[in-house]
Amino acid sequence: MFRGFKTFRLWPTLFNAYGFLFLAFLYLPLGLILLYSFNANPINMAVWTGFTLDWYATIFGGAGVKGSFDAAFTEAPERIFAVVKNSFLVAVSAATISTVIGTVTAIALARYRFVGKRFYQALLILPMLVPDIVLGIALLVFFVGAGFQLSLLTIIIGHVTFLSSYVFVVVSTRLAGMDTTLEQASADLGAGPLTTFRRVTLPQIMPGVVGGFLLAFIISLDDVVITYFIAGVGSQTLPLFILAMMRRGLRPQITALAVLIILFSFVVATVGLLLRNRKP
Amino acid sequence: MKGMLGRIVGMASVLALSANMAAAEGKLSLYNWGEYINPEIVDEFSKEYGVEVTLDTYSTNEEMLARIQAGASGYDLVWPSVHMHDIMQQLGLLQPANPNQMPGWENIDKAALRSHEDPNGDYCLPYAWGAVGVLYNKTLIPELTSWKQFFEYAKANPGKVTMLDDLRETLGVGLIMTGASVNSRDPDEVAKAEAYIMEQKPNIGAFRYDVIPLVTAGDVAAGHYYVGGVLNVLQNPELLGFVIPEEGATMYQEDVCLLANAPNPDNAKLFLQFLMRPEVAARNSERLTNGVVNTAAVDLLPDALKSNPSINPTAEVRAKLQIFEDLGKDLRLYTRAWDRIKTN
Amino acid sequence: MIAGDTVRSRRRRALLLLLAPVTLLLGVFFLVPLGIMVVYSVLEPGLYGGVEWTWYPFNYGRILGWPLNDYEEFDPIYLSIFLGSLKIACLTVLFSLLICYPAAFWVSRMGERRKNFVLFLITLPFFANLLVRIYAWLLLLRPTGFINTLLQGLGLIAQPLDMLFTSFAVVLGMVYIFTPFMFLPIYANVEKLDYSLVRASQDLGATPLQTFLRVILPLTAPGIVGGSIIVFIPALGNFIVPAFLGGSKVQMTGNLIERSFLQSRDWPFGAALALLIMASVVLVLMIQLTRAARTQTKGAV
Repeated sequence: MFRGFKTFRLWPTLFNAYGFLFLAFLYLPLGLILLYSFNANPINMAVWTGFTLDWYATIFGGAGVKGSFDAAFTEAPERIFAVVKNSFLVAVSAATISTVIGTVTAIALARYRFVGKRFYQALLILPMLVPDIVLGIALLVFFVGAGFQLSLLTIIIGHVTFLSSYVFVVVSTRLAGMDTTLEQASADLGAGPLTTFRRVTLPQIMPGVVGGFLLAFIISLDDVVITYFIAGVGSQTLPLFILAMMRRGLRPQITALAVLIILFSFVVATVGLLLRNRKP
Repeated sequence: MKGMLGRIVGMASVLALSANMAAAEGKLSLYNWGEYINPEIVDEFSKEYGVEVTLDTYSTNEEMLARIQAGASGYDLVWPSVHMHDIMQQLGLLQPANPNQMPGWENIDKAALRSHEDPNGDYCLPYAWGAVGVLYNKTLIPELTSWKQFFEYAKANPGKVTMLDDLRETLGVGLIMTGASVNSRDPDEVAKAEAYIMEQKPNIGAFRYDVIPLVTAGDVAAGHYYVGGVLNVLQNPELLGFVIPEEGATMYQEDVCLLANAPNPDNAKLFLQFLMRPEVAARNSERLTNGVVNTAAVDLLPDALKSNPSINPTAEVRAKLQIFEDLGKDLRLYTRAWDRIKTN
Repeated sequence: MIAGDTVRSRRRRALLLLLAPVTLLLGVFFLVPLGIMVVYSVLEPGLYGGVEWTWYPFNYGRILGWPLNDYEEFDPIYLSIFLGSLKIACLTVLFSLLICYPAAFWVSRMGERRKNFVLFLITLPFFANLLVRIYAWLLLLRPTGFINTLLQGLGLIAQPLDMLFTSFAVVLGMVYIFTPFMFLPIYANVEKLDYSLVRASQDLGATPLQTFLRVILPLTAPGIVGGSIIVFIPALGNFIVPAFLGGSKVQMTGNLIERSFLQSRDWPFGAALALLIMASVVLVLMIQLTRAARTQTKGAV
């Protein structure tokens, strides 16, 4: 520790205080949603009028909430399940495809030398850097021009275009930290490239692959902007559903749904981060 | 590369096609405004005819048009406003559903056939109409009667009113206040309306659609809103009020139209017929608190609705309501004025 | 096997096979769409959406100053909206930097286990849905929201503060959303900070401020730049945050693009605006790349 810190003994305390403020800034808004989701007051969520589970009940098909000024248009649970199903279908497909593409590409770039490698490296970073709105409308214009019907399929394709880059980065990091002598030994012992990949490379990069998959899965599940432009018939996803609800107004039901989404994302993200942080 | 692209496109369309074929049996896809149909009615239709109904929603006519043009072609019925009905019919996006040949047509108010392109109801069924007025919080404004009062209140309490985030509606208020038609194509008139709204802008809290919770909770005192807000007024008459301002207001009407490439036209026609039943129309209106186009349904409405001056305005008030027409290229006058209003 | 099938050519075929999926994917669904958008941006808007296939440079003219002068007169508002977006994006970068920089030092001084846990805590909110995080701020900032109710309850203010639907709310919301983006690159740099240089500076009699400005800041500059770019890019094109927290009164280029596509039926104009954003992004990246290349060569010398 440098001397400036030692001479001023309050530094560590100040730093710690600041750190807790920083974490509070990150978590208090989310905590507030949690708190509000149990508030019975249907008109003003900031005024506590009692504990209720009604808002959660409406999501799972419980009776309409009495006295709520918008009970008339509480979304039907079947509707919510349908969009959740869509979201999962998209997220699982997009994450699976992009995990395959991202992993295969990462191996190509890590294990082969070829002309144009730098071009590929740049190209793979680009989808993560292009602003969402630009990618969203570019895909919209393309799909319409090429005669695609906007559907869940177009959403999956759109997601794969940028998710592959995320998987690529995660798997590449893993590959870079990996010892190549085992692969070499396997090849020297006469194993074909496929066998070497299956028996040696894959098990070693597996945490990276699974981590990449989960990252892709959660980003796909949360994506709003790109999906917003390329969604078609009956292909509303959960974020689009929430967007539509938010446009119509802030309601306690959204708050309850938000809590469930946060919890789910946190569980998946925790698993993903744990896997990614495991040392190769 | 090109061959490859072709193959991928081909593969994708096969996938999409098979998805659609699976959808063709006993299904109906509706594409409607958010909260613009009583969900019970949809359920009832679904049970009665054994048809699986899906409902997607949009928030502006333009969004719907853009998505239909962008190939969102699995929908059967859409709910365009009258001027958008004209546009869509001209663009060949609709097919005749012939509601005028169906039982129940005799109940439809012929004054509601407002489309220029479809004067006899060969294509679309008039659905509902309503005025765009002001929803207000009575604890903050005891009584509101005019746009003048609305803007004066805003001047005294900056930020406590909202207007719709819709170029034609909000510029429409400017046009009404400067004595022009809401369908004006005269650049000077549009400029005057723009100046009028610009002058009010510092006092307007936001341009938004999600007005009901904001007004109910008292975040804002009053908001430019559709007559559908009366539903909340009826549930909370002490707290909320809705008014068609005395200077006049815009009105809207939506028609239910069958898309040219609808996958389930037969079910769609059944649904139109179902909507024309007086008791169905009445129950729908009860929920929408909109003006009714079904004369037989009016008698079935509860008194609170029948006598509500916003839902069922007097002839004198009706005369002051203006409906939007399609402006073609002149829409750009409005777009640019709106860009300026939102920026400066 | 014929003689040509050497290890080398087999490796070559394997490589082609490995690269094929990504080439196809990014070629067809990334580069081609961006190319189409470039083409659209110089076509005439169709009356009801879509495009007419005629050369029409006036979409850019309307923004930059060579209009057709029928409907498309030049109006500086589009530049001013763009400059406004730049300003909001820069403020977002600045405030996230101010918040994250000290936090990075705080975390870097922890023991291994605690450090990993806190890093996990900081990354986690990034995974909560964007809309949900914006929604939280709507609840906090609205006139009858948490902050105003609290302050009024404590008797600190009589009237609710107007925080929602302002540029302040937009910047705050974006800082909140992008905090992990800024934090992680800075932290990666701060963690590697060589404290022997800091000590040397102090031994030579530098004041803490001098040490900070001359030693610590330059050493952590790459992280600062990296984080700033990663925050700047999505902030510049954002339209969801201004739509909700700005109450549609605070306009950013993203909102204009969205409106061109989904409301005013002017696709080419939207495409032109999107390319304007894209151009700024590319510009920022190129400056960064040349800068990085220069420091690298300097380091080699």
